[in-house]
Amino acid sequence: MVEDQATLKKLINGNQFLLVGKSIQRVDSIDKVLGKPIYTMDIVPENALYLKVVRSRLAHAFLKHVDLSEARKYPGVAAVITANDIPGINESTALLPDKPLLASGRVRFAGEPIAAIASYDPSIAEEAVDLVRIEYEALPAVFSPVDALKSSAPSIHQNGNIAKHMKLRKGDVEEGFKQADLIVEETYKSQFQEPIPLEPEAGFVVPEPDGSVTCVGSIQSPFHVQTGIAKILSLRPEQVRVIQAVTGGAFGPKSDEIPVDVLGMAAVVAVKTRKPAALAYTREESMVGHTKRHPFVTTLKAGVKKDGKFTAWQATLLADTGAYASLGPLVVIRACFHATGPYVIPNVRTDAYCVYTNNTMAGSFRGFGGPQAHFAAESHVEEIAKKLDMDPIEFRLLNILRPGTLMATSQVVDEACGLEECVNRAVKESDWYGKREQFRKMSGPKRRGLGIAIMYHGNSLGPEGSDYAAVHMQIDKDGIISFRTGLTEYGTGAPSGLLQIAAETMHLPISYFKLEPPDTDFCSETGPTVASRTITIGGRATQMVAGKLHQRLRETAAELLDCNADEIESTDAMYYQRSKPGRRASFREVIEYADKHGTELKEAGTFTAPKCEYNPETSQGTTYLQYTYGAVTAEVEVDTETGHTQVLRMVTAYDVGKTINPLSLEGQIEGGTAQGLGYALMEELKHKDGIVLNPNLADYYIPTSMDIPEIKTIIVEYPGHLGPYGAKAIGEPPIVLPAPAIVNAIDNALGVRLHEIPTTPDRVLIACKRARKDQRPK
Amino acid sequence: MSKHLLKFTVNGKDHAVVVQSHERLLDVLRDRLGLKGTKEGCSTGDCGICGVLMDGRLVNSCLILAIQARNKKIETIEGIGSAENLHPIQRAFVNWNASQCGFCIPAMILASKNLLEKNPNPTEDDIKKATSGILCRCTGYVKIFEAVKTAAQEMRS
Amino acid sequence: MTEISSYWFQRLQGAEGLRRFDMYVPEDLLDLLEYLDSHQTGTHLIANGSDLINRIQRRQVDPKTLVDLSGLHEFNYVKREGNTIRIGALTPISDLADSSVIDPRHEVFREVAAKFGGPAITNVATVGGNICAASSSEDLLPVLLVLDAQVRLKSKQGERVMRLEDFLRGKRATDLKPNEILVETMFQAIGEQADCAFEKVGMRNSLIIAFVNSAVYLKLEKKTLKIEDVRIAFNRVAGKVPGRVKLTEGNLRGRTLNTEASNNATSTLRDELELSSDFRVSGEYRTDVAVVVFKRALSRCASRLTREIVNV
Repeated sequence: MVEDQATLKKLINGNQFLLVGKSIQRVDSIDKVLGKPIYTMDIVPENALYLKVVRSRLAHAFLKHVDLSEARKYPGVAAVITANDIPGINESTALLPDKPLLASGRVRFAGEPIAAIASYDPSIAEEAVDLVRIEYEALPAVFSPVDALKSSAPSIHQNGNIAKHMKLRKGDVEEGFKQADLIVEETYKSQFQEPIPLEPEAGFVVPEPDGSVTCVGSIQSPFHVQTGIAKILSLRPEQVRVIQAVTGGAFGPKSDEIPVDVLGMAAVVAVKTRKPAALAYTREESMVGHTKRHPFVTTLKAGVKKDGKFTAWQATLLADTGAYASLGPLVVIRACFHATGPYVIPNVRTDAYCVYTNNTMAGSFRGFGGPQAHFAAESHVEEIAKKLDMDPIEFRLLNILRPGTLMATSQVVDEACGLEECVNRAVKESDWYGKREQFRKMSGPKRRGLGIAIMYHGNSLGPEGSDYAAVHMQIDKDGIISFRTGLTEYGTGAPSGLLQIAAETMHLPISYFKLEPPDTDFCSETGPTVASRTITIGGRATQMVAGKLHQRLRETAAELLDCNADEIESTDAMYYQRSKPGRRASFREVIEYADKHGTELKEAGTFTAPKCEYNPETSQGTTYLQYTYGAVTAEVEVDTETGHTQVLRMVTAYDVGKTINPLSLEGQIEGGTAQGLGYALMEELKHKDGIVLNPNLADYYIPTSMDIPEIKTIIVEYPGHLGPYGAKAIGEPPIVLPAPAIVNAIDNALGVRLHEIPTTPDRVLIACKRARKDQRPK
Repeated sequence: MSKHLLKFTVNGKDHAVVVQSHERLLDVLRDRLGLKGTKEGCSTGDCGICGVLMDGRLVNSCLILAIQARNKKIETIEGIGSAENLHPIQRAFVNWNASQCGFCIPAMILASKNLLEKNPNPTEDDIKKATSGILCRCTGYVKIFEAVKTAAQEMRS
Repeated sequence: MTEISSYWFQRLQGAEGLRRFDMYVPEDLLDLLEYLDSHQTGTHLIANGSDLINRIQRRQVDPKTLVDLSGLHEFNYVKREGNTIRIGALTPISDLADSSVIDPRHEVFREVAAKFGGPAITNVATVGGNICAASSSEDLLPVLLVLDAQVRLKSKQGERVMRLEDFLRGKRATDLKPNEILVETMFQAIGEQADCAFEKVGMRNSLIIAFVNSAVYLKLEKKTLKIEDVRIAFNRVAGKVPGRVKLTEGNLRGRTLNTEASNNATSTLRDELELSSDFRVSGEYRTDVAVVVFKRALSRCASRLTREIVNV
């Protein structure tokens, strides 16, 4: 307890932060370690119907006839739905209105939903699916963007096969190439990466007596689902309540069409039968049905002077978005902006294309174009350095973005740019020069290499949409502060971070706060939980609302203590009159006083980020309000006889602006690094004629505990202007760099560059053979 | 016969349940006994998320037919600790923020418990091997290893 | 326009879970053999579910009745009787690896267990299950083949013993009669002059279906390094099943173990293997790596025997 002013001052100034920057326990951990029934399929109502989906077997075809008669008659089948049963609009989309909920007349990818069958017993529904007879009229199809762009290609959608063409024009590339002493051109390819959230998609819908519906599901963006379901059912959004159940991983697809697909089909059955209806995807359905990372074919042409300075950079990026665009157009926009990597280049010309094919859909997945752009750019930078015979670190440092320099979008880099420090510290920690020297002298079948890659990542939605978040906070008479937002937790720990920020703002213990599940009935429209914007945009909304609520408490305390509100200091759940610290009131006393006097302790608000202004034809302007920067090194050992690459150690350095929770931050970095490692080495969803060949976890490989290297994380803080306390987005960046760092490390080990990821053992072995051939004396 | 009387013990409690031939141990635990802590990630035994302990061994409950669990002692996550009294492994997972989306956590905790019962002083390599059959997509495994090491230390003292 | 009726499409169309089937739970071995004798069609044996459940889900097999073997605990053993090692068909891989009977000469079983899959898999997958699945993803088969293992089969009428090599008839095909069960596998214990090693390569470090795996049995005259006997098996031979490469073995037998001999053998090996491509990886890659795993397994045997590092 504090009795005098001096002590009070010391107490308040002693800890700059009470909670922010501390590794507080996440608020959702206890339920999870106890195995509580909190995920969607754990809480399906007793009397629910279960759906099974009838899917297209062909990649592109007219549906001549869909015969459901046998299925309808099958004993135990409660309902069969097709596009004709949809009360509202047959649409389930993320951006462009190009995709139906249930195919009607035409299918565009193998696995597209055509109908659904519901029964109390899922086995019966499944048996009835086998009784459906579909007559297809096959249509010519395309399975690569290159083929889809030919003039002879079939049109997959009305307006042709280009869903989006994004351009960046800075300076004059032709002039830039003329000034170059060296021009390097190469093409890079990357694959479909499957997000693999460990919980496959699931949802159930309960029809309410008043004609409204309640939807519960494994989702990232409750309001997007609300809008989608309302359209499908021809209801007003207020008649559709969406609650996010605890979600077992998401990474992107659960913010796109898929939750609307799942809940939409369930909703149509629920409304038709007036019974609760549930749909849980199998792993195979999940892998075929939801959106994944766009494969890119990227052609880069760069010009440099012999001193190493860039003069020009030309990039053409082709993204395969599959049968429906999903958020593909936005993915290529981000890739377009970042196509040069974090370098100062006076003349840039980038063309990024989002192209339809008859493969399965590509859309949102952590990184959102950043991984593809950086894999190409950072591979290319190494090629250039090699041809100039320049040390790759020196080459990068000569050209990197620094405060005051211009990006490819001509946006000026502000002082919140920790890129150089990240590079220098990663170089030091990885023992760059020592190890590379050591590795040069290696012989034998196992070779080691050390590679680096660096990045920048525009924070939040930027040009992708209006960037806002809403928060509601209310204190009940028992002193529990309920915190509501439409931003969702699906593993990131970010919502727990918001509570930390709220607690920090209000000088209260975090245990006083209760994070309520996102529920459209109780929060305002908050936008999607994507683009790593929970801490940045959600954090600002939290600061704002928590600040208002804190002010309320101070005012109430002032009333209680009979002084002015601006005389109140607070720390550790205690409110003091500054001039007489002996006069104080506890949080509990303030709450009781408020309750007695009918003062409502509740606040709400929406924070909207300033709009980003830029020229959509040239991509010149302010594309993002702040940037995260990073540098990652990878030390690998390549078995030149089998092609197997083992990553031994990675140093991951990021400028995060301000750390909110160190353990959670490291968790995001380590998790993203593991996904990036999978992207680099082993993950590849293979299609043949549009059919996914490996939609299962036996043949699609993600890293296991035995594949994880030592990961050393370095945190650098250059506070930005957008996030709370200067915090920057860190959810996505960690997945971006492992691939180019590893490809560069393999090049260092073998002296041969792979231009395609994943660098599976067979591809590496081909490269090893090439290296052996190149090294043999002529 | 398509229906069987399954007698087995789950978390120390005896049960007798009528099961169908094709029901899996996973289905019986979740749907008959209401123990939702055991999750389904792939249905093909490739992710380890459905892991439970059967007679003291880690098994994938999606690959065990219910009737094959007769007379066995099953341990699920519900049998480990409680909100008032967390098991040291659970406490360590909470303190390390090792649980992110949480879906792999019940299996990870059971696998860790199984490991520490046999090997109270495991190396990081032992921990990696013991958890090698369980896929985690969120954490990169690092904090899970740390949590198990911490729990091992606490349990040894 | 391709319409691939791959099994995944069955599962995609909401066919999760298992199709309905009946189950017979025998009281004891006699009851089991009696039942099998009188129900010779439509039944499928199930020891542990790993392989069979997947195959039912994929509609590769549609049994009317499963017969549960998991209660026959008397077939869970690893014994040594004189010079013979006998392993019960229901012995889990983890029990085999942990058994002290296989010390000190049969480390190869630990090598198999280490790369078999995580603990949940090795705790449940049985030796008999591995043998009867008869496919290239059963890691134990190449090892048992080079150990010249035999299998004992029992039926109501009696029992018979045959060589494992003859028992395996082709991809997923064995000589098991509809009224028979496999009760044990046995082989001569590895002697002082011999060693056996297993090597596996896949996409990542754990939970992998092998691209290639190989088992090598080597009997060496330690002073002269003369190869007195060598047996080599792979998970796929001529594209199809686990099997031995006898021409390559013949090429090596009697020669001195050195790099020249090993390189000589690999040219025969490439011809004998005939490995095909699939969506996972090319036949050429498989063959390249087959050579490597063979050499590594061979080297490891030689190193253990001579107590020196040998690389051929």
